[in-house]
Amino acid sequence: MLPYSALLKREKSMTVFIQQIINGLAQGGIYALIAIGWTTVFGIVGIMNWTHGEVYMLGAYVGYFLTTSAGFSLFPALLISMAAGAVIAMLIDQIGYVPLRKNGTIVQSGFITALGLSTFLRYSANAGFTASPRVYPELLQYRLITLFSAGGTEITINSIHFMILIGTVIIMVILQLFFSRTIIGKAMLAGSQDMKTLALMGADAEVLIKVTFAISGALGAAAGFFMGTLYTIFPTMGALAGLKGWACAILGGIGSITGSLVGGILIGIAENLTSGLISTGYKDAISFIIMILVLLIRPTGLMGYKFEEKV
Amino acid sequence: MSENTVKIKSLPSEKKRKETDWLFGMSGKATFIAAFAAILIFCFLDAVHPGKAWIPNYVKYVAACALIYAIAGIGINFHSGYIGETSLGHAAFYGIGAYVTGFLTTRADMNFWLTIPIGMIFAAICALPVGWAGTRVRGSFMVVITYGYSEILRYIAINSLTLGGTSGISGIPTPTILGVKLTKISFLPSNKDGFILILFFIVAFLGFFTWRIVHSRVGYAFAAIREDSIAATAMGINVKGYKILALILSAVICSLAGSFYAGFSNFVAPDLLSATLSITIFTILVVGGRRTIPGAVLGAFIIVIFPELLRMVQEILHLSFDPWYILYGVLLVVIMRFKPEGIFGRKDN
Repeated sequence: MLPYSALLKREKSMTVFIQQIINGLAQGGIYALIAIGWTTVFGIVGIMNWTHGEVYMLGAYVGYFLTTSAGFSLFPALLISMAAGAVIAMLIDQIGYVPLRKNGTIVQSGFITALGLSTFLRYSANAGFTASPRVYPELLQYRLITLFSAGGTEITINSIHFMILIGTVIIMVILQLFFSRTIIGKAMLAGSQDMKTLALMGADAEVLIKVTFAISGALGAAAGFFMGTLYTIFPTMGALAGLKGWACAILGGIGSITGSLVGGILIGIAENLTSGLISTGYKDAISFIIMILVLLIRPTGLMGYKFEEKV
Repeated sequence: MSENTVKIKSLPSEKKRKETDWLFGMSGKATFIAAFAAILIFCFLDAVHPGKAWIPNYVKYVAACALIYAIAGIGINFHSGYIGETSLGHAAFYGIGAYVTGFLTTRADMNFWLTIPIGMIFAAICALPVGWAGTRVRGSFMVVITYGYSEILRYIAINSLTLGGTSGISGIPTPTILGVKLTKISFLPSNKDGFILILFFIVAFLGFFTWRIVHSRVGYAFAAIREDSIAATAMGINVKGYKILALILSAVICSLAGSFYAGFSNFVAPDLLSATLSITIFTILVVGGRRTIPGAVLGAFIIVIFPELLRMVQEILHLSFDPWYILYGVLLVVIMRFKPEGIFGRKDN
């Protein structure tokens, strides 16, 4: 039998553990949004769109200017920055990838072009917006919502985390409906299997690719906006977050929306647990460790289908 | 029939090799002599003309940096060039070399030249897991694995107190030859010339080494794997072994560059393991041309000289930001659009 104090301590550490998991959920939702942006473009265009982190950063900045200078409230600002993200992503496609697709060199040169565009956007933002971090105004009143109480300690979630989680889930549901119910969504799913055959069937590949980039950009911008409501934003924020999104996509399985959501939330939780239980210094490294392990042990991820032909 | 065979045999492969593998169509020996003459003039111009420095010390500093990057460029060429993968994590090996040298020279008072092979062995060991991963995944997934690996190493360097944390290791002694510091050799006009001469010989040797490897059994195996790894397996080539070998070769050479960086700048920091440096090393290769030796060297000079020029532009225009990275992105996009094979590269069929 454990003495009473040890029992209490264990109980406490259990509630701390649960609290950390709940804190990780919102962060995970944001990563999941980024992950879907990666995986849709990767599935349909077949390139690793390295600029995705930059769309995320620009989305966060659009949201910042909308909520500060223009004085928009939470919901319209989110929608407008998503629209802006979609436009930015389509522009990136138009300027960067369309010429390569015409030349037929997208496979060899697509990735390095993306790398160049991403560097260009990141440091242009650094020049334009200055490197100093910015803070969103309070869009939602901060308060703690009690979920349940365990052993005398209340497990709470704060309102911003709650809003992000709900927002993510709504976006995911809409996306899932889009893919399963609309003809464009179905065409996109088909395109991720075999773009060439789809084009032979009469589908306009360019339109599909544009829609893909628009969706990816909108999701990236939404993630950036949510991130802005949580933490400060700065021009180089896209570098790390973009890669973490990719890690979530790999964990969940490339090409699977549910998988991305699960992967994102798992990595968000893993990060919070690492900073809570091991060390804050390794918080950012854990997602890369998970990513490498998943790629080595189970390259299809948790819910992905076979994607060898894309590799 | 036999005539046809003769014709095929006399395809201009020999000629092509000379044109593309070395500078301005010269043979390797001629390139070496010309480059050596240029470097001698560069180093000793101020000695024959005492009193006034024709070449500022700053320019010599830039040249030495470019030579260090050239070593790294030749190194990554094995992995991202000849084997045809893409790595955004070679800063990991560069940083390992730099940290091993920095750590052993300051904490264990070891001789600089002894730390180089230790760094190389350490880099080779650290390359093994990535090499093993490379036999299982390809393309974009290899990019993220290398990227993630170097990020993980960076976090270890940041969080480790023995490695100096975020401030890194400072006060690394300058390497000596026969008890004389490389910066204090009496007959050389400036304190950078010793480094420049040694680095030049290393770059020349590595160029020769790469050329010999590429035109050997190993190099042909690399080419076969790059073009079609399934066909290479069918031909009886040990694809996994050669892939790991290519990565280890490139890791070892990058670690050499890192060791020299530590001795040259007397300082290492976690930034050496950052993705920015990885991307820079990769860009050296892309700009100069994959699978070319002069391309790797020239790419290094471009990547080092351009930011310095732009820093001057920044000072003249009083810009509050560094214009280099913005232009650097544009440079990559433009090269991919108009000359995707790089400056010296050959078009793929």
